[in-house]
Amino acid sequence: MTSRRRLSKTVGQVLFWILIAVIFVYLIFPFYWALISALKTQSELIRTPATYFPENPTLQNFRAVFQNTAFLRGLGNSLIVAGSVTVLSLVVGAFAGFALGKLRFRGRTPSLYVILAMTMFPQIAVLAGLYAVIRTLGMPALPSLVLSYMIFTLPFTVWVLTAFFKGLPTTLLQAAQVDGASTMQTFVQILLPLTAPALVTTGLLAFIQAWNEYLFALTFTSIAPTARTVPVAIALFSGQISREQPFGEIMAAAIVVTIPLIALVLFFQNRIVEGLTAGAVKG
Amino acid sequence: MTKESRALQPAKSRGPSKLARGEERTALWLLLPSFLIIAVVALYPFGRVVLSSFTDERFAAGTDLRGEFVGVVNYQRLLSMTLRQVPAVVDVDTGERVLRDGQPTFENPRLFLRRLGTSLPLDAVATFRIGGNLWVLGATSASFIRSVWDTLVFTVSSVAIETVLGMIIALTLAAKFLGRGVMRAAMLVPWAIITVVSARIWEWMLQPTRAGFFNTLLNDLGVTDGSYAFFQTAALQVPAMVAIDVWKTTPFMALLLLAGLSTIPGELYEAAEVDGASPIRRFFSITLPLLMPTLAVALIFRTLDALRVFDLFQVVYGEARYSMASYAYYQLIAARNVGMSSAASVIIFVIIFAFALFYIRALGVDRDE
Repeated sequence: MTSRRRLSKTVGQVLFWILIAVIFVYLIFPFYWALISALKTQSELIRTPATYFPENPTLQNFRAVFQNTAFLRGLGNSLIVAGSVTVLSLVVGAFAGFALGKLRFRGRTPSLYVILAMTMFPQIAVLAGLYAVIRTLGMPALPSLVLSYMIFTLPFTVWVLTAFFKGLPTTLLQAAQVDGASTMQTFVQILLPLTAPALVTTGLLAFIQAWNEYLFALTFTSIAPTARTVPVAIALFSGQISREQPFGEIMAAAIVVTIPLIALVLFFQNRIVEGLTAGAVKG
Repeated sequence: MTKESRALQPAKSRGPSKLARGEERTALWLLLPSFLIIAVVALYPFGRVVLSSFTDERFAAGTDLRGEFVGVVNYQRLLSMTLRQVPAVVDVDTGERVLRDGQPTFENPRLFLRRLGTSLPLDAVATFRIGGNLWVLGATSASFIRSVWDTLVFTVSSVAIETVLGMIIALTLAAKFLGRGVMRAAMLVPWAIITVVSARIWEWMLQPTRAGFFNTLLNDLGVTDGSYAFFQTAALQVPAMVAIDVWKTTPFMALLLLAGLSTIPGELYEAAEVDGASPIRRFFSITLPLLMPTLAVALIFRTLDALRVFDLFQVVYGEARYSMASYAYYQLIAARNVGMSSAASVIIFVIIFAFALFYIRALGVDRDE
């Protein structure tokens, strides 16, 4: 009896670990495949059947990628765009989050609903209109990308920061007001420092979303190739030598843009999980 | 002083104090930048899209041609459909159906639709057999209708698979075991990879020769001859997109569900175990109902996201196969047809909106408390 129970427990344990292993391989394998492909020589890449491990690991694909000006410019553009989007949505979002989370005024609830509705707004629905606005204003591609990315980073930032401000004790605000501080002084000097964790979380998510964005980037840079961001550069990647799709170099480029992001995400993983699940889970 | 504003005041005070009025003014100033930005990047462009969807506006070289108002022509063009029975081929002399291998033969559905001589030429979206007859669904914009259908199939299948896989992963990772941190970190890897990049990685893994991973693997397993053209096989084009999307977004689903699981008190399970409830019973009686609010939000996020799919289709197929969004994109950028692109965008918006309403009704989601 006891031995049978022990046996079924062992079997359960084995199955559990097999399941863990399968999940792990499923999640990681495509990344692994990209990495080993990037390390393969040109001849090994096109050899059939494919090898599961590079025979003569080489950095030649990485070297080629770092000599590819279109790709390097894309990295620079993406950093500028994603960085500006993050700063702008945090500044504007913190203002709105404070007002919606801590201040009493008429129209608070409708404002919240507008913001919430905006988080679901499909980008494609404004594409042609936004393109026309940008062309009419004659806006350069990079600033227009920064502005247009607000459509998805701002509502989310406002939403999360509002929830965070709401959670801060109101007594802080009242005490400061009793001491004669203006609302703005209280906001900047007392509440804002307390929101630092939420700012880091939402900032990271805004940065990643902006770094990822493809539809607007592809559309608004169609006549300005020098403003292309990383996703566009990788989608349109053409090799230095061959006319065929240079998958070795593409995989190297994929690794180059992914490693920093994975490092960032792993370093801040608790914050990111918190931010992703904010609003979805009532804790 | 209006009724509403009095309601907002604390019960004790009789009128709005100077402080309260100041607070209100500050709040409006603080909200102004957000609403200005939303107006510029969302409301005004969307209004323009709606307006130009009723015009024949086009981009010409460098300048905008303000289109003429054409009414609902763009919508007609995108949505006109007809279901027809394809005539069987009849022998001229005998007047009987021509059989090939014992099966009746039919006219070419495409030519049949052309021959109908409608004002706008019809193209075949799909053909299907009912009984012994062949039917054809014709449309004036067959590629748009197909893109809507493909996007719906993509959305339903990827969200369904993601939910089931995400649930399995979340339930597995909810157990306490050595290496749980590593697993949680691994979950963030697909999520952190740019969608365009993951499309290109899978494109490479699904190469039609054994230089690709899947053909090598399937050949080693003896399933195929190692030259299976995944992206060129029409029936596999949408499933291939689903596979990439599932890999990329299941972790998101699992993370949400995992967070939801952690809010379920452990005593419930202990009590159920004492009562002798089986693990399956426990899942359906405790886990699933308590996870419902989280699951509802996750489903909404993922469904609305999947309906807008653009990156995967555009990178892998270009104009060979469209999602709704990539159709609207190509109408704008390649065909420079602002009117048609706008009409397609409005239709997409309506479809997404309908899904959102459906979810809110069906699941009773209310995120504001």
